[in-house]
Amino acid sequence: MLEEFGRIVVATVIAWILFLSIDIFWRLPQKGGVSGADAIGTAISRHGGDRNGGWMMGNIICSPDASAGTLLAACGVFVAGIPGGIAAAVLVYVGNRICHDKGYAGTSGALIATFIIAGCMQIGFMASDFIAGMVLAILTIQGLSHTHASRLIGYFWRWRA
Amino acid sequence: MIEQIITLGLTGLIFLGAAATALWKNPFDKLIGLSLLSAGVIPLIVMRGYLDVAIVVAILIPISTIFILLLLGRKTS
Amino acid sequence: MSIALYGAARTVLEKETLLKLPFVNVMNFGIAGLIVFILPHPLTLVAAAAYFVGSTLEANAIASAIARRKQE
Repeated sequence: MLEEFGRIVVATVIAWILFLSIDIFWRLPQKGGVSGADAIGTAISRHGGDRNGGWMMGNIICSPDASAGTLLAACGVFVAGIPGGIAAAVLVYVGNRICHDKGYAGTSGALIATFIIAGCMQIGFMASDFIAGMVLAILTIQGLSHTHASRLIGYFWRWRA
Repeated sequence: MIEQIITLGLTGLIFLGAAATALWKNPFDKLIGLSLLSAGVIPLIVMRGYLDVAIVVAILIPISTIFILLLLGRKTS
Repeated sequence: MSIALYGAARTVLEKETLLKLPFVNVMNFGIAGLIVFILPHPLTLVAAAAYFVGSTLEANAIASAIARRKQE
Protein backbone atom coordinates (compact mmCIF):
# COMPACT_ATOMS: atom_id res chain seq x y z
CA MET A 1 0.00 0.00 0.00
CA LEU A 2 2.82 2.35 0.91
CA GLU A 3 4.80 1.16 -2.08
CA GLU A 4 1.90 2.04 -4.37
CA PHE A 5 1.82 5.52 -2.88
CA GLY A 6 5.52 5.90 -3.68
CA ARG A 7 4.94 4.74 -7.26
CA ILE A 8 2.15 7.26 -7.69
CA VAL A 9 4.43 10.04 -6.41
CA VAL A 10 7.16 9.12 -8.88
CA ALA A 11 4.58 8.86 -11.66
CA THR A 12 3.32 12.33 -10.73
CA VAL A 13 6.80 13.78 -11.00
CA ILE A 14 7.41 12.09 -14.35
CA ALA A 15 4.04 13.26 -15.69
CA TRP A 16 4.66 16.80 -14.40
CA ILE A 17 8.04 17.10 -16.09
CA LEU A 18 6.75 15.47 -19.26
CA PHE A 19 3.71 17.62 -19.89
CA LEU A 20 5.34 20.89 -18.85
CA SER A 21 8.36 20.36 -21.08
CA ILE A 22 6.25 19.36 -24.10
CA ASP A 23 3.90 22.30 -23.65
CA ILE A 24 6.75 24.75 -23.27
CA PHE A 25 8.51 23.16 -26.23
CA TRP A 26 5.46 23.84 -28.36
CA ARG A 27 5.43 27.45 -27.20
CA LEU A 28 2.12 27.27 -25.39
CA PRO A 29 2.92 30.19 -23.05
CA GLN A 30 3.73 32.45 -25.97
CA LYS A 31 0.20 33.61 -26.56
CA GLY A 32 -3.35 32.60 -25.85
CA GLY A 33 -4.14 30.12 -28.60
CA VAL A 34 -7.91 30.56 -28.66
CA SER A 35 -9.77 33.63 -27.45
CA GLY A 36 -10.90 31.86 -24.29
CA ALA A 37 -7.31 31.03 -23.34
CA ASP A 38 -6.41 34.67 -23.79
CA ALA A 39 -9.21 35.76 -21.47
CA ILE A 40 -8.16 33.34 -18.75
CA GLY A 41 -4.52 34.38 -19.07
CA THR A 42 -5.42 38.03 -18.68
CA ALA A 43 -7.59 37.30 -15.65
CA ILE A 44 -4.75 35.42 -13.97
CA SER A 45 -2.29 38.21 -14.68
CA ARG A 46 -4.74 40.69 -13.22
CA HIS A 47 -4.59 38.78 -9.95
CA GLY A 48 -0.84 39.05 -9.82
CA GLY A 49 0.24 36.11 -11.90
CA ASP A 50 2.63 35.95 -14.81
CA ARG A 51 0.99 36.65 -18.15
CA ASN A 52 2.76 33.97 -20.18
CA GLY A 53 2.11 31.44 -17.45
CA GLY A 54 -1.53 32.45 -17.43
CA TRP A 55 -1.74 32.02 -21.20
CA MET A 56 -0.39 28.52 -20.95
CA MET A 57 -2.88 27.68 -18.22
CA GLY A 58 -5.63 29.06 -20.41
CA ASN A 59 -4.37 26.94 -23.28
CA ILE A 60 -4.43 23.85 -21.07
CA ILE A 61 -8.09 24.47 -20.27
CA CYS A 62 -9.37 25.46 -23.69
CA SER A 63 -7.62 22.95 -25.90
CA PRO A 64 -6.29 19.41 -25.59
CA ASP A 65 -2.58 19.85 -24.95
CA ALA A 66 0.14 17.58 -23.58
CA SER A 67 -1.66 17.31 -20.24
CA ALA A 68 -4.74 15.89 -21.93
CA GLY A 69 -2.51 13.82 -24.18
CA THR A 70 -0.63 12.30 -21.26
CA LEU A 71 -3.80 11.57 -19.31
CA LEU A 72 -5.56 9.90 -22.22
CA ALA A 73 -2.38 8.02 -23.15
CA ALA A 74 -2.24 6.66 -19.60
CA CYS A 75 -5.89 5.61 -19.88
CA GLY A 76 -5.16 4.05 -23.27
CA VAL A 77 -2.21 2.02 -22.01
CA PHE A 78 -4.32 1.02 -19.00
CA VAL A 79 -7.08 -0.50 -21.13
CA ALA A 80 -5.13 -1.84 -24.09
CA GLY A 81 -1.35 -1.54 -23.80
CA ILE A 82 0.68 0.32 -26.43
CA PRO A 83 -2.03 0.07 -29.13
CA GLY A 84 -4.37 1.71 -26.61
CA GLY A 85 -1.93 4.55 -26.12
CA ILE A 86 -1.64 5.09 -29.87
CA ALA A 87 -5.44 5.01 -30.17
CA ALA A 88 -5.55 7.67 -27.45
CA ALA A 89 -3.10 9.79 -29.46
CA VAL A 90 -5.40 9.52 -32.49
CA LEU A 91 -8.38 10.55 -30.34
CA VAL A 92 -6.44 13.54 -29.01
CA TYR A 93 -5.52 14.55 -32.55
CA VAL A 94 -9.19 14.46 -33.56
CA GLY A 95 -10.08 16.43 -30.44
CA ASN A 96 -7.52 19.08 -31.35
CA ARG A 97 -8.98 19.52 -34.79
CA ILE A 98 -12.49 19.74 -33.38
CA CYS A 99 -11.33 22.57 -31.11
CA HIS A 100 -9.84 24.38 -34.13
CA ASP A 101 -6.37 23.98 -32.70
CA LYS A 102 -3.72 23.46 -35.34
CA GLY A 103 -0.99 22.54 -32.90
CA TYR A 104 0.51 19.15 -32.15
CA ALA A 105 1.16 19.51 -28.43
CA GLY A 106 -1.56 17.04 -27.52
CA THR A 107 -0.75 14.40 -30.08
CA SER A 108 2.99 14.49 -29.46
CA GLY A 109 2.37 14.47 -25.71
CA ALA A 110 0.17 11.42 -26.03
CA LEU A 111 2.65 9.50 -28.18
CA ILE A 112 5.67 10.32 -26.03
CA ALA A 113 3.72 9.52 -22.88
CA THR A 114 2.62 6.17 -24.33
CA PHE A 115 6.21 5.06 -24.79
CA ILE A 116 7.38 6.43 -21.46
CA ILE A 117 4.54 4.70 -19.64
CA ALA A 118 5.14 1.44 -21.47
CA GLY A 119 8.82 1.70 -20.59
CA CYS A 120 8.03 2.36 -16.95
CA MET A 121 5.75 -0.63 -16.92
CA GLN A 122 8.78 -2.79 -17.64
CA ILE A 123 10.38 -1.62 -14.40
CA GLY A 124 7.35 -2.26 -12.28
CA PHE A 125 4.95 0.65 -12.62
CA MET A 126 1.30 0.12 -13.37
CA ALA A 127 -0.49 2.24 -15.94
CA SER A 128 -3.04 3.19 -13.30
CA ASP A 129 -0.21 4.87 -11.34
CA PHE A 130 0.22 7.19 -14.28
CA ILE A 131 -3.47 7.99 -14.48
CA ALA A 132 -3.46 9.05 -10.85
CA GLY A 133 -0.07 10.72 -11.31
CA MET A 134 -1.21 12.84 -14.24
CA VAL A 135 -4.36 13.96 -12.45
CA LEU A 136 -2.26 14.93 -9.43
CA ALA A 137 0.20 16.82 -11.66
CA ILE A 138 -2.63 18.84 -13.18
CA LEU A 139 -3.95 19.51 -9.69
CA THR A 140 -0.65 21.10 -8.71
CA ILE A 141 -0.62 23.37 -11.73
CA GLN A 142 -4.26 24.33 -12.16
CA GLY A 143 -5.80 23.67 -8.84
CA LEU A 144 -3.71 25.06 -6.00
CA SER A 145 -2.71 28.64 -6.65
CA HIS A 146 -3.07 30.24 -10.03
CA THR A 147 -0.67 33.07 -9.38
CA HIS A 148 2.16 30.86 -8.15
CA ALA A 149 1.71 28.26 -10.84
CA SER A 150 1.65 30.89 -13.56
CA ARG A 151 4.83 32.46 -12.19
CA LEU A 152 6.54 29.08 -12.17
CA ILE A 153 5.52 28.46 -15.78
CA GLY A 154 6.60 31.98 -16.71
CA TYR A 155 10.01 31.28 -15.18
CA PHE A 156 10.43 28.13 -17.25
CA TRP A 157 9.22 29.97 -20.34
CA ARG A 158 11.87 32.66 -20.01
CA TRP A 159 14.43 29.89 -19.73
CA ARG A 160 13.31 28.42 -23.01
CA ALA A 161 12.74 31.59 -25.02
CA MET B 1 -17.22 -0.85 -0.79
CA ILE B 2 -15.32 1.38 -3.20
CA GLU B 3 -18.40 1.43 -5.43
CA GLN B 4 -20.48 2.92 -2.66
CA ILE B 5 -17.94 5.58 -1.85
CA ILE B 6 -17.71 6.58 -5.50
CA THR B 7 -21.49 6.64 -5.86
CA LEU B 8 -21.76 8.77 -2.73
CA GLY B 9 -19.12 11.17 -4.02
CA LEU B 10 -20.83 11.47 -7.39
CA THR B 11 -24.19 12.13 -5.80
CA GLY B 12 -22.51 14.84 -3.75
CA LEU B 13 -21.13 16.34 -6.96
CA ILE B 14 -24.58 16.32 -8.55
CA PHE B 15 -26.19 18.05 -5.59
CA LEU B 16 -23.33 20.53 -5.34
CA GLY B 17 -23.67 21.34 -9.02
CA ALA B 18 -27.43 21.71 -8.79
CA ALA B 19 -27.27 23.93 -5.70
CA ALA B 20 -24.47 26.04 -7.19
CA THR B 21 -26.38 26.46 -10.45
CA ALA B 22 -29.47 27.60 -8.58
CA LEU B 23 -27.71 29.99 -6.23
CA TRP B 24 -25.21 31.73 -8.52
CA LYS B 25 -26.47 34.84 -10.26
CA ASN B 26 -24.09 35.30 -13.19
CA PRO B 27 -25.34 33.28 -16.21
CA PHE B 28 -21.85 32.06 -17.03
CA ASP B 29 -21.52 30.76 -13.48
CA LYS B 30 -24.76 28.89 -13.96
CA LEU B 31 -23.34 27.20 -17.04
CA ILE B 32 -20.30 26.17 -15.04
CA GLY B 33 -22.66 24.76 -12.42
CA LEU B 34 -24.36 22.65 -15.11
CA SER B 35 -20.91 21.41 -16.04
CA LEU B 36 -20.42 20.29 -12.43
CA LEU B 37 -23.75 18.49 -12.57
CA SER B 38 -23.04 16.61 -15.77
CA ALA B 39 -19.59 15.69 -14.45
CA GLY B 40 -21.34 13.85 -11.65
CA VAL B 41 -23.84 12.12 -13.90
CA ILE B 42 -21.56 10.67 -16.54
CA PRO B 43 -19.59 8.31 -14.25
CA LEU B 44 -22.88 6.96 -12.89
CA ILE B 45 -23.87 6.03 -16.44
CA VAL B 46 -20.50 4.35 -16.98
CA MET B 47 -20.83 2.44 -13.73
CA ARG B 48 -23.99 0.76 -14.93
CA GLY B 49 -22.18 -0.33 -18.07
CA TYR B 50 -23.95 1.89 -20.60
CA LEU B 51 -20.75 3.01 -22.31
CA ASP B 52 -22.39 4.02 -25.57
CA VAL B 53 -24.97 6.09 -23.69
CA ALA B 54 -22.14 7.72 -21.75
CA ILE B 55 -20.32 8.63 -24.97
CA VAL B 56 -23.45 10.17 -26.47
CA VAL B 57 -24.35 12.11 -23.33
CA ALA B 58 -20.75 13.30 -22.85
CA ILE B 59 -20.83 14.79 -26.34
CA LEU B 60 -24.36 16.15 -26.25
CA ILE B 61 -24.20 18.09 -22.99
CA PRO B 62 -21.26 20.34 -23.99
CA ILE B 63 -22.88 20.87 -27.39
CA SER B 64 -26.06 22.06 -25.72
CA THR B 65 -23.96 24.40 -23.55
CA ILE B 66 -22.52 25.85 -26.73
CA PHE B 67 -26.03 26.31 -28.09
CA ILE B 68 -27.08 28.07 -24.91
CA LEU B 69 -24.10 30.41 -25.28
CA LEU B 70 -25.05 31.19 -28.87
CA LEU B 71 -28.63 31.95 -27.83
CA LEU B 72 -27.49 34.05 -24.83
CA GLY B 73 -25.17 36.07 -27.04
CA ARG B 74 -27.91 36.81 -29.48
CA LYS B 75 -30.29 38.05 -26.77
CA THR B 76 -27.95 40.69 -25.34
CA SER B 77 -26.93 42.05 -28.74
CA MET C 1 -12.47 10.81 -7.17
CA SER C 2 -11.29 12.96 -4.30
CA ILE C 3 -9.43 15.17 -6.73
CA ALA C 4 -12.64 15.66 -8.70
CA LEU C 5 -14.49 16.67 -5.55
CA TYR C 6 -11.67 19.00 -4.54
CA GLY C 7 -11.82 20.66 -7.95
CA ALA C 8 -15.57 21.03 -7.63
CA ALA C 9 -15.25 22.49 -4.12
CA ARG C 10 -12.67 25.06 -5.23
CA THR C 11 -14.93 25.94 -8.17
CA VAL C 12 -17.79 26.75 -5.84
CA LEU C 13 -15.56 28.74 -3.52
CA GLU C 14 -13.94 30.90 -6.21
CA LYS C 15 -15.63 34.23 -6.76
CA GLU C 16 -14.35 35.35 -10.12
CA THR C 17 -15.97 33.54 -12.99
CA LEU C 18 -12.95 33.30 -15.25
CA LEU C 19 -10.86 31.84 -12.47
CA LYS C 20 -13.46 29.17 -11.77
CA LEU C 21 -12.52 27.56 -15.05
CA PRO C 22 -9.10 26.18 -14.03
CA PHE C 23 -10.76 24.44 -11.07
CA VAL C 24 -13.44 23.01 -13.32
CA ASN C 25 -10.61 21.76 -15.51
CA VAL C 26 -9.08 19.91 -12.54
CA MET C 27 -12.43 18.32 -11.83
CA ASN C 28 -12.80 17.22 -15.44
CA PHE C 29 -9.38 15.58 -15.41
CA GLY C 30 -10.41 13.74 -12.28
CA ILE C 31 -13.67 12.53 -13.77
CA ALA C 32 -11.99 11.39 -16.99
CA GLY C 33 -9.53 9.31 -14.97
CA LEU C 34 -12.32 8.01 -12.76
CA ILE C 35 -14.43 6.62 -15.56
CA VAL C 36 -11.48 4.63 -16.89
CA PHE C 37 -10.77 3.28 -13.42
CA ILE C 38 -14.26 2.02 -12.72
CA LEU C 39 -14.70 0.17 -15.99
CA PRO C 40 -11.49 -1.00 -17.72
CA HIS C 41 -12.71 -1.72 -21.22
CA PRO C 42 -11.38 -0.40 -24.54
CA LEU C 43 -14.58 1.50 -25.20
CA THR C 44 -14.15 3.33 -21.89
CA LEU C 45 -11.12 5.03 -23.43
CA VAL C 46 -13.38 6.45 -26.14
CA ALA C 47 -15.87 7.53 -23.48
CA ALA C 48 -13.13 9.24 -21.44
CA ALA C 49 -11.76 10.95 -24.56
CA ALA C 50 -15.26 12.05 -25.62
CA TYR C 51 -15.96 13.39 -22.13
CA PHE C 52 -12.63 15.19 -22.02
CA VAL C 53 -12.93 16.78 -25.46
CA GLY C 54 -16.49 17.78 -24.54
CA SER C 55 -15.34 19.41 -21.32
CA THR C 56 -12.53 21.23 -23.15
CA LEU C 57 -14.94 22.50 -25.82
CA GLU C 58 -17.36 23.63 -23.16
CA ALA C 59 -14.73 25.46 -21.11
CA ASN C 60 -13.40 27.08 -24.26
CA ALA C 61 -16.90 28.20 -25.31
CA ILE C 62 -17.62 29.69 -21.89
CA ALA C 63 -14.27 31.52 -21.78
CA SER C 64 -14.62 32.97 -25.29
CA ALA C 65 -18.21 34.02 -24.64
CA ILE C 66 -17.06 35.88 -21.52
CA ALA C 67 -14.25 37.45 -23.55
CA ARG C 68 -16.65 38.55 -26.26
CA ARG C 69 -19.06 40.02 -23.76
CA LYS C 70 -16.29 42.01 -22.09
CA GLN C 71 -15.35 43.52 -25.43
CA GLU C 72 -18.80 44.97 -26.00
